[in-house]
Amino acid sequence: MTARPTLSEAVYDVVWPLGKPAYDTRSPNARVADLNNKVIGELWDYLFRGEEIFPVLRERLKARFPGIRFVAYDVFGNVHGPQQRELVARVPELLKQHEVDAVISAIGA
Amino acid sequence: MLRASAAVERAGVPSVSVIASGFLKQAEVVAKGLGLPDLAIAEFPGVPMTYSEEGLRREVEEVLLPRIIDGLSNPQNAPTSTGIQAAPQPRDIVFRGTLDEVQEHFHRNFWSDGLPIIPPTPERVDRFLRFTERDPDEVIGMCPPANRQATVWNVAVNGVMAGCRPEYMPILLAVVEAVSDPAYKVEDAGSTPGWESLIVLNGPIVKQLEFNSGQGVMRVGKQANTSVGRFLRLYLRNLAGFYHAPEGADKGSIAQSFLVALPENEDAVAEIGWQPYSVDRGFTAGDNIVTVQSVVAISAPAYSQSEHAIEHARLLADVIGERACGYWTAVGMCYANWHPLIMLGPSIARVFAKDGWSKDDIRKYLYENVKIEASRAEYYAYAVGLTGFRINDAVKQGLLPPVYHESDDPDRMVPVFQRPEWIGIVVAGDWGRNQSKGYVSNHVQGPPVSRKIVLPKNWDALLAEARR
Repeated sequence: MTARPTLSEAVYDVVWPLGKPAYDTRSPNARVADLNNKVIGELWDYLFRGEEIFPVLRERLKARFPGIRFVAYDVFGNVHGPQQRELVARVPELLKQHEVDAVISAIGA
Repeated sequence: MLRASAAVERAGVPSVSVIASGFLKQAEVVAKGLGLPDLAIAEFPGVPMTYSEEGLRREVEEVLLPRIIDGLSNPQNAPTSTGIQAAPQPRDIVFRGTLDEVQEHFHRNFWSDGLPIIPPTPERVDRFLRFTERDPDEVIGMCPPANRQATVWNVAVNGVMAGCRPEYMPILLAVVEAVSDPAYKVEDAGSTPGWESLIVLNGPIVKQLEFNSGQGVMRVGKQANTSVGRFLRLYLRNLAGFYHAPEGADKGSIAQSFLVALPENEDAVAEIGWQPYSVDRGFTAGDNIVTVQSVVAISAPAYSQSEHAIEHARLLADVIGERACGYWTAVGMCYANWHPLIMLGPSIARVFAKDGWSKDDIRKYLYENVKIEASRAEYYAYAVGLTGFRINDAVKQGLLPPVYHESDDPDRMVPVFQRPEWIGIVVAGDWGRNQSKGYVSNHVQGPPVSRKIVLPKNWDALLAEARR
């Protein structure tokens, strides 16, 4: 697509316009082999009909894994709302307090 | 949402994140920037807000549920990827070519905004660096979601590319300081409302660098206003990862283009005995100040006519308050943080001042007189996707003031503007016309953040040299 340079055309040496990534990469934690008898935490951003989706998930997961238990999203609060940073910072403490084995985090990006 | 998932993983607990189909690319960029590129994702098919109740349940049972179980249980969802990404050094030459070849290279790498860029050669970057005493390697802050380091060097590089003049460098640095302040929540600058950052400028630098604060102030065309505005969009694209779908993290659904920088007409402000906007922001009149805030929508031009202030206030309340801000106030209520901005035409500001009105009087009038039914605000919020929001709950949590829940009547009238002091007022535009405009901000995403512009000690000499 680009025309071949002619002798009279200037050539430019250019630098990178981005910045160094400010993060180290790590892998997610090991998965839970069997969800039966496990405690599932619910994190919700109070968006996109989670108030309808989570009850269906609870019902269907309980039917498939009878011993499963849930820590409902209201325990964690709106992790996308006006207190996002404070509530996200509290997540580790609440996971420990409620002995959560795995988390469903919803909905969006 | 993924930030919460990352907190879970860092606490040693496995997670699965439910992401709607249209957000998958954004999720990929966010997860990478969080250092967890392999976060388990369970895709929710389609658009949750358009399903019937039965349809939603069916999708959850038949499609989402198996994906969630897989995300939490399948060992393949915990691959081992660790390490630090390599990056070129600032002065490394990453490409050599003609003007056309440079454009092509930058377009292909998503380093450009679709317009031609000025090739960022080391020599050009150095010319920008002369206008600051800061170390080029100084890290100004982080730019999530791509989470790259904002440095003095890459500010200059993107300033070159955007067509800025080297003497704009002190402004560019202040702009980047402002948007990389965590309070600005730049990580959400790619959210679906498609908001843009507006740069407001105050101080003698406006005249020194020949910014336009008068007629056509928000039109592309003046080098200073335009290139500084373009710089910020380009910078957020390159550093925060906000280039749009399908490759980038910009999820602005319809979105808008960059806004040129808005300098206040401080002569007009002084003439009527008001203080400039920068003083409202806590600085001293005469300081060179940058304020950056989000703009999600712009009102119609509000033409008001009268020799009396009250008539202008009524018109602003109608056109800017009820019509432009009335719809988006619901989202502002959800996040308990909302800072609409009004650009008053100089002739309108003069009528207000002549009638003895201060900027606080205008704010108070708008706060007291622009209202919306609580039920309508909740309906608007629900339709946006904020399905868990209830005004009464927000009042109970102390996020909204008690005036929002003075009765249980769903149709009670509540203020559109949450706090009078959150309404910004800037005087600019056409002195020869009776027009104002409203700029609707995007709540907690992009609240006004201000920074002082720091000039080098030899500023006057450098500027004189640059202007020769």
